[in-house]
This record gives sequence, C-alpha cells and structure tokens, in this order.
Amino acid sequence: MLLNRTTSGSRWRTRPDGPGKVTGGLSYLTDLSLPGMLHGLVLRSPHPHAAIVSIDASKAMALPGVLAVLTYADVPGLNRFGIARPDQPVFCEDRVRYIGDAVAAVAAETPEIAVLALRAIEVAYEPLPVVDDPERALLPDSPLVHPEGNVLHRNDYRTADVAPGFAAAAHIVEETYVTPRQMHTYMETEGGLFVPEADGRLAVYSATQHGFMDRMQLARILGRPEADIRVVSSPIGGSFGGKDELNVQPYGALLALATGKPVKVHHSRWESVRAGLKRHPMKIRMKTGVDANGRLLAHEVEIVADKGPYATLGAEVLNFAVEHVIGPYRYDAVDVKSVNVYTNNGMSGEFRGFGGNQAIFALEGQMDRLADKLGMDPWAFRRLNLRKTDDAGPLGQPIAVTAGASQVWEALAESELWRSGTGRGSAGSGPGIGATGGKSAGHDGSGEEGIGLAAARVEAKTASDRGQATAGTPAPPWIRRGVGASFVMHGAGLGVGIPDPAGGRLRLAADGKIDAVFGYEEFGQGLIASLEQMLIEQFGFAAEDVRIVIGDTDVVPDSGSSTASRSTSMMWQSLRRLRGPFAGKLIAAASAALAMPADRLRVGAGGIRDADGGELLLPYAALAAATAKAPVIAETRFEFPRSPVDRVGAHFLYTYSAVAVAVEVNLLTGRVRVADQYHTVAAGPVVNPQGFLGQIEGGSGMALGFSLTEDAVMSGGHYLTENLDTYLIPTVAELGGTFEVEPIETLPEGDEYGPRGIGEVGSVGLAPAIASAVYRAVGKRVNRLPIDPALLQETDGWY
Amino acid sequence: MAMEQDEILRTPAVWHPGDAREAWRLKEAFGPAGVYVAGGTLLRTQWEAGVAEPPAHLIDLTAIAGAGEVEMDGEEAALGALVPLSVCRSHPAILARYPLLAEAARVIAAPSVRNLATIGGNVVSRVGDALPALLALSAQLVWQAGPEPHACSLADWLERERRAPTPASGVLVQIRLPVPPDDTTSNAARFFAYHKVGRREAFMPSLVTVALTGRIGADGAVEEIRVAAGGGQTVPYRLDASEAALRGQTPDGKTLAAFQACVEEEYEPKPDLFATEAYRKRAAANLAAAAVWQAARDAAAGRKG
Repeated sequence: MLLNRTTSGSRWRTRPDGPGKVTGGLSYLTDLSLPGMLHGLVLRSPHPHAAIVSIDASKAMALPGVLAVLTYADVPGLNRFGIARPDQPVFCEDRVRYIGDAVAAVAAETPEIAVLALRAIEVAYEPLPVVDDPERALLPDSPLVHPEGNVLHRNDYRTADVAPGFAAAAHIVEETYVTPRQMHTYMETEGGLFVPEADGRLAVYSATQHGFMDRMQLARILGRPEADIRVVSSPIGGSFGGKDELNVQPYGALLALATGKPVKVHHSRWESVRAGLKRHPMKIRMKTGVDANGRLLAHEVEIVADKGPYATLGAEVLNFAVEHVIGPYRYDAVDVKSVNVYTNNGMSGEFRGFGGNQAIFALEGQMDRLADKLGMDPWAFRRLNLRKTDDAGPLGQPIAVTAGASQVWEALAESELWRSGTGRGSAGSGPGIGATGGKSAGHDGSGEEGIGLAAARVEAKTASDRGQATAGTPAPPWIRRGVGASFVMHGAGLGVGIPDPAGGRLRLAADGKIDAVFGYEEFGQGLIASLEQMLIEQFGFAAEDVRIVIGDTDVVPDSGSSTASRSTSMMWQSLRRLRGPFAGKLIAAASAALAMPADRLRVGAGGIRDADGGELLLPYAALAAATAKAPVIAETRFEFPRSPVDRVGAHFLYTYSAVAVAVEVNLLTGRVRVADQYHTVAAGPVVNPQGFLGQIEGGSGMALGFSLTEDAVMSGGHYLTENLDTYLIPTVAELGGTFEVEPIETLPEGDEYGPRGIGEVGSVGLAPAIASAVYRAVGKRVNRLPIDPALLQETDGWY
Repeated sequence: MAMEQDEILRTPAVWHPGDAREAWRLKEAFGPAGVYVAGGTLLRTQWEAGVAEPPAHLIDLTAIAGAGEVEMDGEEAALGALVPLSVCRSHPAILARYPLLAEAARVIAAPSVRNLATIGGNVVSRVGDALPALLALSAQLVWQAGPEPHACSLADWLERERRAPTPASGVLVQIRLPVPPDDTTSNAARFFAYHKVGRREAFMPSLVTVALTGRIGADGAVEEIRVAAGGGQTVPYRLDASEAALRGQTPDGKTLAAFQACVEEEYEPKPDLFATEAYRKRAAANLAAAAVWQAARDAAAGRKG
C-alpha cells in the first residue's frame, strides 16, 4: 500500500518541531547571541598547498577592538582533530594542505573589526606543487601531501580469482563511472556560540551529530577534562553527515577561553563551501562477466576516491563503498580493490549514503549494461542474481534475515510506473529491450522503431517546451520519455570494529512529565516526531505527557551518534527494552500510592488508569509528587547489532529499496527532467509515516542534484563553484512530478530488530535509475554524474 | 592601517536624486566613486563575491519621478527603467502586447529577486536575460547622459558594448518598444518564443538565451522573423544572417536545417566552466529551429481550423 497522508489515517501527525520551523519562530543555535559577545573568524590558507614560512599577528593584535589572535602556539592540548584519526590541524604549523586549512583565528568586538584583523595577519607562504588528481597522486613521482605518502586507506576484498570467470563469460561489461563532489548544502551553515561559564566550564552551543564525540575531541584540543565541557547541539538546520565532524568548534572554544567572553562563530556560505566537507568524488572501474544464461561469474572493481587533505571518516566511507559495490547480487568470484587518496583538493568526508551512492550508481549501471548484452529485461536480470533470503551479506558476513530483497523486487515489478515504461514501451527503446518480448512502441502504437531517437511521440503528463503544459497535450517531438529502475541494498549502523553504542533513559520528572532522554540530535530528519510517536503508540502516553530531551551532554546518556541510519532503530530498540521496566516501575509506584493491586492498573494518557475501565486514577504529576524521594527512572545501554565477523565495517542490518523513475530528455538542450518517481522500501514497520515519506522524498531530492545539477568543481585545488549561484541544488522546479512511496513493513517471524534505517537509502537509488531511464529514452549510456547535457543533445532527428 | 579600517567600517553615502538629470550630475561629480543603484540585486552579488567593493557613493534611482511607470499609446510603449521584472512578467498590457518580454521576465532569477530587480538594471548589465527579447522587439533606449535625454537603438548600443565595453556614465531612463502591427484580421500567424537554458530549471544563470518573433503568412512562408541570442557572459545580438536565411522561405525540413545551421554559425557564445561553445551553439540553433517548426505547424493547424 502506498504511504501518504490518506493511507496513514490517524498515524499522520503534525511534527512537534514543525510549526516553529515553518514559521521561522524556532531559534537555531546559530541564532543565539549574548550581550558583550565577541565575533570569531578563521584565517584560512589562500593556497591549496604551501609551506608556512612565518606568521606575524602583531598588527592584528594591535587593532582596537581585537581581543584575541590565536595560532597553533595557542592550542593547549592536541592541535589536531578527526573522528576516526585526528590528523587535521586545528591551526597549521608549517604547512597548509588545502584552501580551507586554518592558520589563525581572531575574536573581535564586531564582525567588521574581525574581518580587518584577519587582513592584518601577515603570513608568508612558499607555494608547493598542488596534488589535485587522486590517480596522479598515486604515481611514484607525485608530490606528497603527507610525508608518509598519499594513501589514506586501501581496502581490498577478494573471494576468488576472477580470471576463470571472465574467460568463461558470454558477455563482459567494462565501464568507468565518475561521481561528483557533492555538497551537503544545509540551509544553516556551520556556527555556534561558545560561552565560558562562571564555574570555569565551557558551554558549546554548536551543531553536531554526536555531542559526546565533540566533547571528547574538544577536551583533547583544549587539554581539559571532558566533564568541564558542555555540548548543546540541537536543533540543527540540516547536517546530512556534514556537521558530524568538528568544524567551527575548536576555534570558538579556544577564542572563548582565551578572552573569557562569549564568542560567536558562524560561517558565511563562502566559508562553508571552502572549509566544509563534501561527498568523496569517486572513479569506479568495473568489469563484470555473465554466462549466456545471465549468471554473474566475475566482478572486478577498482575504486579511487579523492580524500582531500585529512582523514576524518575517509577510511570508513571507502569501506562502505567496497561493501556496496558488491551489493545485493551473487557472483562466482569478486575482486575489489580500493584506495582513498590524499590530495590538496577540498575535504571529503561523511555524507548521507556514505559511499553507497557512488557504489550503487556504478553497480546498477553494470547490471543494466549486462542485461542489455544478454537481451534480457534489466529487472528480470537482477532477479536472476539477487541474493536469496538466507544468503550471507556482500562481504560473506552473516546478516539479519529478511525477505526485503525479493519484496522490493516484486513491488517494483508490479508498480504502475515501471509497467508504464516496459509493457507499453517507453519512448525510445534501447537495444535489447525488444528482445524481452515487451513491445517497444510509442503510446500511439506506431510500433517499434529501434534505438532512441526514432521512437518518440509520447503523451507526457507534464512535458512541453515550457515543461508545464496541461495533461493530454502531446509533448513536442524533441521530448523523449524513458522509465528506468535501480535496486539498492544499504547497510545501517557503523559496522564491525567501530564502537556503536546505543541506549536511552525514561524518567518521570518532578513536574509530572515523562522525560525521554536520548543522546541523539534533531537535524531536520524528524527524530523528535518519531520518538514522540513511538512513546504514544508503544506506551499509550498522550503527546502532552512526554517531553523529549536531546542534544545536551550535561543531561543525556551517550546513545551513540545520530548517523548511519541508526537513530530511529536504536530508539525503537531502547523503548522496547525500557517498556517493561519503566511501565512496571510506574505501576508499582502507583500501586503503592493508590493502595491498589498492580494488576488493576495500566499506563495511559494523562496518568495511571484503571486496567479495565480505563478511567484516570492518578495523573502523572500526582505520581511524580508521590515518588519525589525515589523518582521513577529506567535506563538501557546496548550496542547496535553487528555481524559476528572479523571484517571492519561489515554491516548486519540492511534496508532494501527499489526505485523507478520516468525522465524526459529534451533533445534540443540535452537536459533531463525527472518526471515521476516510485520508491519501494523494505525497512520493517513504519515508525512515523510523515517522517518516512520525508526521508525518502528528501533523500531523493539530494540524489536528483547528484544526478543532474550538483558538482563542487575544483581546479588546481581551488573551488570554482564558491556559492549557491554556481553550485546548483535542485529547486521546486526540479522536484515536481508524482512521487510514490511503498513501504514494505513485514519482517520475518521472531525478528527482534524492528524498524531498519531509512535516513540514507532514499538518497542512493535515484541516480542509477535516472541513468537507466535516460538510456531507455534516447539510447545513450551515462557513466558520469552530474549528467552532461551535451551528451544528450541532438542536432537533428527531432522534427 | 587606520585609513583602511575607516574604509572598511564605512557604509556608502546614499543619494536620492529626484530626476534623471540630477542623477547624471551626481555621477559626473563622483566619477568611479559613484555607482547607480536601483534594485541592487546584481551589485549585491558582486560585493559579496568580492569582484566589486561597495562604492563611496550610491546614487539611488528609485526616487526618479516616473521611472517606474509603464505607458502605452497607439504607436509605442514606454517602460520606465525602474519597472521591476515582476511587473514586466505580470503587467496586463505587457502580457497582451509583448508576451515575449513577459516570458523572458518570467524566467529571470526568482520571485523575491524579480520584485527588486528592474528592467533597466537587466539592460545595463549588458548580459541580462531580458535583452534577447528586447532585441527581438526592436527596443529603443532613452538615456540621460548629458543635460538632455537622447535615444538610441538597443541593438546599436549593445553592438558597441560588445566590441568595446565602456563604463556607464549615463542613466538609462526608458525602454521604448514599437507597437506590433495589428494583423488580427489577416490570415498571417504571428508567433514568438523565448528560451533560457541553464543548468537547472529555475533561478539559475543562463547558458543560452534565444528570443524569436515573426509571422507566418497565409501561404505558409515566413514573412517576418527576428532572432536574438545571448546567455551567460555573451552580450546578446540579433542574428541578421540567420533571419535573412529564413525570411520568405517556407519552413520545410530543408529550409529549417539551413536556418539552424546558420544560427549555429552566426551565434558566437562565450564558453565558461559549465558549458562549451559547441553546446551553446547547438542549443541556440536547435531552439530557434524548433520554435519556427512549431510556429509553422501551429499556423498550418490554424489555417485548417
């Protein structure tokens, strides 16, 4: 059943943080200010690669209104940060390695004086050769980004020799796929307020996806105990992985402590582009062979990723890509080699999809091309090689069993959108499609006309040269429609070998509210709404009974990071563990207070109710008063479930998805318009219908940008797209068309893991589906994103 | 250092002349230190990008009497240079007489920008996306570049600017458009088309802009055709040779192909990071030829109907 407002009925709820966000009433952390606060700015390197000869801050320091100018000499603790490997300098000492590298920071009374102070800092550089191409960076004569070499991380995975498979193959497809440097483009750029407290502690109001990780990293930099730092980190105006790593925090914290005054730091969009993380650009070469029946014999992959200058989570992203270039299919032999390479380009790091987006674009491209060579329907070809329900995971690891793979396969096969593109033939049939027996004809039934350009006179729902004619208007002949599909298997959690704690706390607060206390963050994904809905549906509380407490290291337990599609799963599992103990304690306390047997009581809306009649016996406020001396509290701690293998990063819980998309290619301009989308997602029960839809729609919007418009272009280590007037994210004009989401909620009998993650999967499948649809529209293969319209432009044949 | 600090911390002086002559005199007095401003939408992007510093003096044109008016009579229309793009997009008389201009204004920037940005600013930027439409409409410009106003054709001014850009000293006061002939009683079919190609569908800088207007006669031949193209940093111009290649012809496959080839040859766009010259040429030629094809088809259907 499709998921929408109507089918959700009473489960469709207004999210608690919604009104504040849509009215602009909500204050984000970057909206905070304090009287007498200072303004902090960071001086960043003008060179992608240079030696620092000298830094002279004396003139800056002498300016009236400047209270601090800091350099590496002013870092009391470790002058490095990085979640997985702290190798990024807070302040560079003797070398800069990208144009975002920090050399100094200032705190001044006004933002204008801070700008002036930055200009007054004198830094002498000696430019060094720029390493701007990861493949060239691997050559023996390449200049080095780091003395130990240009390789951050290699990860190879091999099940058997692929040579015999290729020798026996009836068809081999060899292709190189190239993906862009995508920017997270959160609406709220990085920033925060840093406040030295009267008791000597430091309060940090700045977005992150894991408050305790920031606290640990800041303690390490500041040379102070973690307990001396409080990190308040929600609400957040978007993150998508981009604010998980430290950004402004080291500078704000150091400046606040140096001056003893509150300091505000907030990146302009320009600085956010320059210093911030991006999705790793990857070049993925694949060679895949099948036998004449379509069985996958051999799959050889080489991944080269552009890391930029420092590690952050680059190794982990690469590991994820290795797992997902193998993906949901069975092969006789697999051989994957991968490397993440240091360059003097911009920083790459964590980004929604985490290496899966690049991997699946390549892998699904192979599947389409192989099906074509075989003359098979591309979707039927996938089925032939799909992992079976009890199969191991991509790395041979045991995984939680679900029927998700076959379920989404079948759902897509039966979807109206996919059938509209095959049974009746989409405009422009690719070679081989006719061989499946499906007729490749235009809507007018004019019959099969072969490849691409000859075929199309379609009734496109919304197409015209303006892109918005009314239904029933024939599309002009230069608009070609095609329907494509892709398959996604996406792992959740951090994987084997990485600490992955989870947990939370419920307590009856003194004022009678049920506090749900978790160390997760709200960055727009709807975590607060989902938690509230679970508390209502699983415990029977009313919305006004509960208070969500998140995003403050002084009060929340460490629930692990809000990353890797894990938070909702972990909250669900936490509540399942807490339900018995917490409800039991509430009832025991009420039983004592009411002098009634516990079996006559139940937890409900507003308070403790009669187990049979349901009447309210004891409001929570009264129960809180009765338990003031021994408050009712329950807490749980556990680890994200993981596979029992010794393969770092291997996942245990997977979400499956299949995506169908209709595109319209304009042959005059070569531009691709995404018309209609269908996403089916097997991720267990839908916790929050609105949140589920939002994640898939939002993820898909990011994938659309990845496919058609977004690329942070660099040349010689400098960004050429420095602002949102050249770095183009999709607008409402791109995100029209129908959008159907069909969740598959069933899980095997006895499954104890509940809802799987959906935070990332929506961002993965659209790109390969678009590439597939383009092929079916015009008969041309896309191997590079974003799609270059010049590839699809035709000078004749369209009238 | 103190000087520099003063400069950075100072905001520009803003002048509010009440007529165009006063505005021009202020500009004469300030020289390069004075900059005209109307909507300020383009200036702001230049200041933010650091390609221009905020000047010492801003000469605000919005107080100039009548500069925001749209006036029409039987012979011509006069658009005040201060008319916002949002008005160009939705003014009933513009929509009725100059739908080509309304269509161009529709696809410039975004609603909030169009409320501020003016048609005059779009023109004096020399690369504004309304320019091809105004060229195809044979616009005249009225300037205050001396004690008395004077008029010149938009095409001539742009051609001079294309060859040798000169820093602005005069104020653009008005854009005049001849009234299209009333041929509602004839069997001829008037057509127009405006296309903007960018890297996404809305609120983006253009790569290519093409504007056409013309008339298909009762015999199916192209009686009248005007084509202009621009986009990106290309200063737009009329494609005279392409027009000549099509004028008087019946737009069949052969003549359309010749027209298309001619546009591709005649249009010389400036490439940039995001699109090659070849892509832009093909896009302009394709869009122009497709527009004529569509017009011929519609005209034929109209004659049958």
